[in-house]
Amino acid sequence: MPEIILEHITHCYGDKEVLNDFTYSFEQGKTTCLIGPSGCGKTTVLRLIAGLETPSSGVIKIDGVKVSEKGSILIPPHQRQVGFVFQDLALWPHFSVYKNIAFALADKKDTNIKNKVFEWLELFGISDKAKKYPHQLSGGQKQMVAIARSLILQPKILLMDEPLANIDTHLKERLLLHLKDIQRQQQFTMLYVTHDHKEAMNTGDCLVVMNAGRIEADGSKEEVSLSSSEFVKSFLKS
Amino acid sequence: MGRAIVRHIISKVPSLLLFLLLGLPMIALLLQWLVNGDDKSALLSFIGRETLFLIGKSLLISGIVALLATFMGTVCGFILYKMRLAFTGFYKMALLLPLLISPYIFAVAWKDGLFWLFGNNAAFYSDSGVILVHTLVFFPLAMLIIGSALSRIDASYEEAGLMVIPFGKMLLKIVLPLIRSAITISFLLILIFSLSDFSVPAFFGVRTFTTEIFTQFSALYNFPLAIGQSILLLVICLLLMLAEARYLSDAPFFSVSVRGSMSKKYAFQKRQALFHALLWLLLIMALVLPVFMLGTQSLTGSILFFREAWILMGPAVLQSIKLALCGTLLITSVGLWSAYVKVRLNNWLPNVLLLLTFIVPSTVLGIALIRYYNLPVLNFIYGTALILLLAYLGKFGFIANRIIGNGMRQIPVSLEEAALIMGIPSWKIFVRINLPLLIPSLFAAFVLSFILSMGELGVTMLVYPPGTELMPVKTFTISANVPEALTSSMTLINLTVALVLITLFFLAGKWLFKKFQYA
Amino acid sequence: MRLLFIKMIVLFMLILTACSHSSNEVIVYCTVDQVFSEPILRDFEKETGIKVKAVYDTEETKSTGVMNRLIAEKDNPQCDVFWSGDPVRNSVLQTNGITDSYQSEQTNLIAEYFKEKDNNWTGFSARARVLIYNKNLIATDSLPQSVFDFTDPAYKGQFAIANPLFGTTTFHIAALFVNLGDEKAKQWMNDLKANGVVIAASNGDVKKRVMNGELAFGLTDTDDAFEAQKESDAVDFVFLDQQGSDIGTLIMPNALSLIKGCPNTENGKKLMNYLLSKETETKLAKSCAQMPLIKGTELPDNVPSLDNIKSMNIDYDITSAKLRDIQPWLKQWAEQ
Repeated sequence: MPEIILEHITHCYGDKEVLNDFTYSFEQGKTTCLIGPSGCGKTTVLRLIAGLETPSSGVIKIDGVKVSEKGSILIPPHQRQVGFVFQDLALWPHFSVYKNIAFALADKKDTNIKNKVFEWLELFGISDKAKKYPHQLSGGQKQMVAIARSLILQPKILLMDEPLANIDTHLKERLLLHLKDIQRQQQFTMLYVTHDHKEAMNTGDCLVVMNAGRIEADGSKEEVSLSSSEFVKSFLKS
Repeated sequence: MGRAIVRHIISKVPSLLLFLLLGLPMIALLLQWLVNGDDKSALLSFIGRETLFLIGKSLLISGIVALLATFMGTVCGFILYKMRLAFTGFYKMALLLPLLISPYIFAVAWKDGLFWLFGNNAAFYSDSGVILVHTLVFFPLAMLIIGSALSRIDASYEEAGLMVIPFGKMLLKIVLPLIRSAITISFLLILIFSLSDFSVPAFFGVRTFTTEIFTQFSALYNFPLAIGQSILLLVICLLLMLAEARYLSDAPFFSVSVRGSMSKKYAFQKRQALFHALLWLLLIMALVLPVFMLGTQSLTGSILFFREAWILMGPAVLQSIKLALCGTLLITSVGLWSAYVKVRLNNWLPNVLLLLTFIVPSTVLGIALIRYYNLPVLNFIYGTALILLLAYLGKFGFIANRIIGNGMRQIPVSLEEAALIMGIPSWKIFVRINLPLLIPSLFAAFVLSFILSMGELGVTMLVYPPGTELMPVKTFTISANVPEALTSSMTLINLTVALVLITLFFLAGKWLFKKFQYA
Repeated sequence: MRLLFIKMIVLFMLILTACSHSSNEVIVYCTVDQVFSEPILRDFEKETGIKVKAVYDTEETKSTGVMNRLIAEKDNPQCDVFWSGDPVRNSVLQTNGITDSYQSEQTNLIAEYFKEKDNNWTGFSARARVLIYNKNLIATDSLPQSVFDFTDPAYKGQFAIANPLFGTTTFHIAALFVNLGDEKAKQWMNDLKANGVVIAASNGDVKKRVMNGELAFGLTDTDDAFEAQKESDAVDFVFLDQQGSDIGTLIMPNALSLIKGCPNTENGKKLMNYLLSKETETKLAKSCAQMPLIKGTELPDNVPSLDNIKSMNIDYDITSAKLRDIQPWLKQWAEQ
């Protein structure tokens, strides 16, 4: 059964329509990459799934449960079991690395916080940075902290909004492999937004190519690369 | 949904309370004014050629003041916040001090200073005297606002500019546009402060719209006319502020990098002496000369008055500090709340309300408060210091709201959303994430509100409960007919008390910033 | 945050308790300089045990605070006694229906001349208008002897009067208008203008400018002149218009009014009776050289007795009414 379903979603920011009748089912346990030029509505899809935006029309279901519908959020973000890695990472600048990751656990009155946090830090190989503050980290380290923070509550869905945009290819590949490993262990569905089609080809099980709020092509890598759409052809060439 | 209801309550209930406490008194006064005018034509009699001429003249004078003060503030802000210079800490504190001296005392000190230096000060009794004094008194405000905006620009913007254009051009094309909103708000705040001060123009015998309103109130007791004129002044200020809000305050050019933004600092090794000279020149004009005049006057009297001044001021000092502290806590809390509901929940009402009470002339605000609160059942407010806290809130809530709102806008929403997704409750997000990140803005709002509340006289004079002793009121009521040396001593005591407290605040601020690793 | 909130509440409570009402009190609004009035009110407190809560203001800024407050509070008066430095303000309040009439044994000690006819205000200790001059700038024998000499070209640009819209100056001018008739008075005012009179912000400002040597002489009140003498050896003062046929100088008493519907009427009356006494008049004579109105009050040597001054013959109520008439004209005159 597909896990995340968006049905006829339209979304506007003020007068500007960013999604137009968007319908798609994201498959469980897989990694789907959303690609397309900037401003095409990729990020909005993630934010709608997370419950940070309310659809102007349409329905969103997760695991068969209706979570959002026209004009209202039925299940609030924190009950959707999603993790979100923001484009700007959104690390809290006044918290140390440890605190950034532990903050959510502490609120859940978890008894084993320290071990859990260090488990994750070790998984990413940054346990020596626990006491540092975000501005004392390198770009790659910050990204690892942000990912670790989003996974600490063991979400069923991980939403990633171009989090690896500014790091070198080598590091990026290593991180993605790492993430794949974790995904295999934890069995979460991953939605990955990028504007870089090569990265998408390497990362995604499925691809969704978007333009101006609509889906231009979707399916496996092979299916998408054989698409007849002029837009898709020129986008993949660039 | 719980969160939505809570949000609604947070936004609407205090709004209603604020409206009842501060909005309704003004509306009641307006209604009384409209209803009580027996002769309807008299209501509009305040608009005439004479009035329009006066408004034009006042706007011109205050406009020049605002322009000069903003320019000086920008230059000082740049030197102090963007350059590697020795003793910047000292300069920052010292140049803030003119804000503590009431414009009237400043005018007297400067006038005497000029007479003492040149034996002639006739030129001072003119528009230019008003402009000089107002500029010197108000420029620290611009320095504070623009300086903090400058220190928040991410170094990369400037460095990216320096790659392609020379330094001067970079300043003009990149830095200035980035601090556009700080410059505009400084300009407008100073314009409004200058427009609403009557003491300096009255002292120099310059007729402005505000002295005209004052004359109507205090010589002719013509309330309807005075209130009518005040409404006109209010409309002008309101238009200016709304224009600013419409075109600027939401302009999305402020971004603080979450990577702990680093501000770029320049060295200019060769010109250090020049900058020191410039700062000292300003210091001498804005602080040393007036304080020196006060000092010599308090020492050259036929008797030493410091002891006597202290006996008079002593009881008022503690009371003043206590009240100003309470007022400042209230102002900062309301400023924080109103900024939050405006920036995050899009509720504009409290913001507009605070703007209104900020720009309305002090006498009118005072009279509105008296008429509204002077009821036997409300005596627990009108008969106690609570009325003063409300007055302070009305006068300075807007400034705190703006400073904190600016800070709030610079916290990326994603920082809150990241916590929201993890199921952190809203109040905890606010307390653990928003509040610590807002500390610099809260601190600036706190210090500024404190300074302003300590010196507030216009409304205080009208509403302070009988028997309450307050420093500005006491200095003001005693200074009339005592030897100059005593007045000067009292002013110096005022200044010292404020200085000690501000030093304490800055020390506390340093500790706070360090504790939260974010400054 | 919660801690902050609790602290705030505690502070509020502290303030509230600090200002709680005690029943045995009297509330006085006072425009007489605080340095002089406060000690007397403290004495009253000590002698009677009645707590005095005062709101002070100053003539220097035209008593705006207290006056506007009294007018705005009309419907629910907070003040019991209004102690003014001159009767003009009491008269304004009377027209607004804010004062009450009050008569007692003590008010009977004051001559009818210094009282409102329905006892809406009662005068006591008085000041007079004087000419204050700087000995370094003008010789005593070349001083003007009358306000009418001010138009002499010899004095052009060398003298000041305070803004005639405010304070005792406005009353002085109104008295001259009553005495001379409007036409002559206006002519005199215009001649002053033509002779370069400097319009100072207040009487205190006149004093200061003469003391500093900015101007040779000016019109001010006796209390300012006495202060100036204490502060500077260069300053002296004279009474004007003292010759046989001259109009005499203006005498302005302090004035007390009971406020209509005031919260502590009995205590208010007690305070008024206390102030209308030889003792108070002596204290004011010593502290700020005010001249007693009650016959036989003890006087320090340096304070002139009213008996030795030729005073202008005026009716205070008529003059107050006149003042309101001519204010628009004065405003124009001052602003041109």
